[in-house]
Amino acid sequence: MRAALKLALVHAYPVALLLAVWEACVDAGLVRKILLPAPSAVFARLAELLQTATFLEHVAQTLERLFAGLAIATALGVALGLAAAASRPAGRMIQPLVRVLAPIPKIALYPALILILGFDHASKIALVAADAVFPILFATLHGARMVEPKLLWSARAAGTSPRACVFKILLPAALPSILTGFRIALVISCVVVFLAEMVSSTDGLGHLLIRAARAFRTVDMFVPLVTISLLGLALNALVAAGRRRLLAGYGESR
Amino acid sequence: MIEIERLSKTFRTETGADHAALLDISLSVPQGQFVSILGPSGCGKSTLLYIVGGFVRASSGQVRVAGREVTGPGPDRGPVFQEFALFPWKSVTGNVIYGLLEQGVPRGEAERRVAKLLEAVHLKGYENFYPKELSGGMKQRVAIARTLAYDPAILLMDEPFGALDAHTRTLLQNELLSIWERDRKTVLFVTHSVEEAIFLSDRVFVMTASPGRQKAVIDIELPRPRVRSELLLDRRYQETVVEIERLMENRVE
Amino acid sequence: MRLRGLLSLPGVPPLVSLLALLALWQLAAAVLGIEGLPSASSVLASLPGVLFDLESLAEIGASLERMALGFAIAVATAIPLGLVMGRSRAVAGFFGPLLTLIYPVPKAALMPIIMLWFGVGDFSKVLVIFLGVSLPLVYHSQAGARAVDEKLVWSAMAMGMPARRRVFSIILPSALPEVMLGCRVGIAMALIVMVSSEMIARQSGVGNLLFNSLDMAQYRTVYATILVIGAIGFALDALFERVRRRLTFWAEAREDAVAGGG
Repeated sequence: MRAALKLALVHAYPVALLLAVWEACVDAGLVRKILLPAPSAVFARLAELLQTATFLEHVAQTLERLFAGLAIATALGVALGLAAAASRPAGRMIQPLVRVLAPIPKIALYPALILILGFDHASKIALVAADAVFPILFATLHGARMVEPKLLWSARAAGTSPRACVFKILLPAALPSILTGFRIALVISCVVVFLAEMVSSTDGLGHLLIRAARAFRTVDMFVPLVTISLLGLALNALVAAGRRRLLAGYGESR
Repeated sequence: MIEIERLSKTFRTETGADHAALLDISLSVPQGQFVSILGPSGCGKSTLLYIVGGFVRASSGQVRVAGREVTGPGPDRGPVFQEFALFPWKSVTGNVIYGLLEQGVPRGEAERRVAKLLEAVHLKGYENFYPKELSGGMKQRVAIARTLAYDPAILLMDEPFGALDAHTRTLLQNELLSIWERDRKTVLFVTHSVEEAIFLSDRVFVMTASPGRQKAVIDIELPRPRVRSELLLDRRYQETVVEIERLMENRVE
Repeated sequence: MRLRGLLSLPGVPPLVSLLALLALWQLAAAVLGIEGLPSASSVLASLPGVLFDLESLAEIGASLERMALGFAIAVATAIPLGLVMGRSRAVAGFFGPLLTLIYPVPKAALMPIIMLWFGVGDFSKVLVIFLGVSLPLVYHSQAGARAVDEKLVWSAMAMGMPARRRVFSIILPSALPEVMLGCRVGIAMALIVMVSSEMIARQSGVGNLLFNSLDMAQYRTVYATILVIGAIGFALDALFERVRRRLTFWAEAREDAVAGGG
């Protein structure tokens, strides 16, 4: 227990140092408060806003889009990844498609998505899904490909059909890899939903930043940024904990 | 029980060339016989086993089991691999019970059978352990129990004790024999150890180096049950070892 | 069988999938029949209009210039930092947590704040791109430096190789594959941050072009510009892969999850 605490302190010290220096600079008047508000001011404002219903509604909107997009990306990514790994013809179709689409910055698709799906939720969810599906697909494909064939053979000999093998053997065996991809996809989703809301939205955390920018309220610009970062870190930690739980028995160290 | 007729297998390598792994193998194994497939590394003996198991398709020739041609894997031919191939996300019980559940055995009955099997392989008490917490010897015991669970008529063993230390290997050889003595299943046992082959089997199928061809089939006339300490001093055993080792020497690798 | 032979040539499967996508697009446009999804054929027809319009070309060129600049500065600073972090526990201990903190922050989202500080000129845009690219570069350079087989270093020390030469002869080449991977991710990030920051800042550049066309309901131009951006992304990645393979042909290829987002 003490070792874990010590580790946490070691990790936190540079951050704490940075915050302290930042606070000191603002206090000493080295930086103009209008350009760079003190951390204390930002966190105070955040605490204040967290008690207002409107702010929480915006957070809820952002989270809603985030989770919806992530859910679609996970379902699609895992399905396509498993299919590509399990079936040669499927792999031949999916892999080149992914190779063509992966280097394209999906954010560039946003205007098209708006044109097709409208300005509200749907286009943002679609954008999140489009960005998040790739790490999950890659991770699933990689994890499923790495499965020792003898595991599959053992299952086949025991009477499992080739189709059932995908769900009974490939999926659990690839799970550690899939969860790693999911974590990456999670961070990407946080980023993308925020950006989409900044570019074109009437609500959500990203929109709040733009609104504050237009009104020159610097503190209110920092608050959404800090919020999405904290959300991202919190969700990441949650997934990491969940991962440890799910993979309790596994031999993998990933 | 097993009829292997003029079996050949060629692989296409990455460079596009053809590599002959097996050439014209024929072997007939009656029910209940323990046959070792012996040969140097790379002679295709594992490939032969995989073809009988239905995991790999032959290039030419036929394999028939109980009169029917082999077209794919099945619960009549249970494999045990050198790498154990246990399902890492399942516990010991989860692994062993797998085949039973796949065969449709009701849960209660299946759990009962698993308990008996674990006792037979001396793993009572380890039901909830996961593969990563087990030693090599224990993992192989689980693998054997898992295969025995769905009661295959034939056991296909691919150098199952190759990854274990000598002491554990001896232990498991004896355990395997005592288990086998009860049901007298048909066994195909791949190994590169002459002594292991002679100790365990009724017949030894000796293969040449790549491409794998039949070199000789030696009948082992030693009486059962076989006790290691006695055998080591038995003249017939010693002569057989020498005979087969000479056979295998006859080739520059 | 000839078809199978044709499909196994490099470059052909991606082309086939591209054509398949275009066909799917054409079908979807015909089926959905909404104004917001023009047919693939009409978009392709308007491509020359976008590509040969001098103004938009200038914009695209300026965008790419800024991207290149941000990337270059990042390479010059982030890679050395990452390498040092990989070899020195103390440095890693200091910068590591800071970088982990910045990781989930969308770099393009910093645009408004950075513009507040530094104005709307090129500097802000280059800065944001620099920030976006630095993170993967540092991460991968650190990983590469950390993974250097210590036995190689010891052998060099035993041979009497001075520290400076060890860095250039042992550590840099060993870390190179991972650094190259970081660069590949970095290029993708540069493109993403560039496009998104321009969508947010709306001064100039491709991102701005996109939304201008959107505002002016020039739907075909929107899609054509997206195709151009997509082609740039694909070309940059393919080009870089070539370079990477040449430089690190001795290392094993890795199919990593390409990070997206801002």
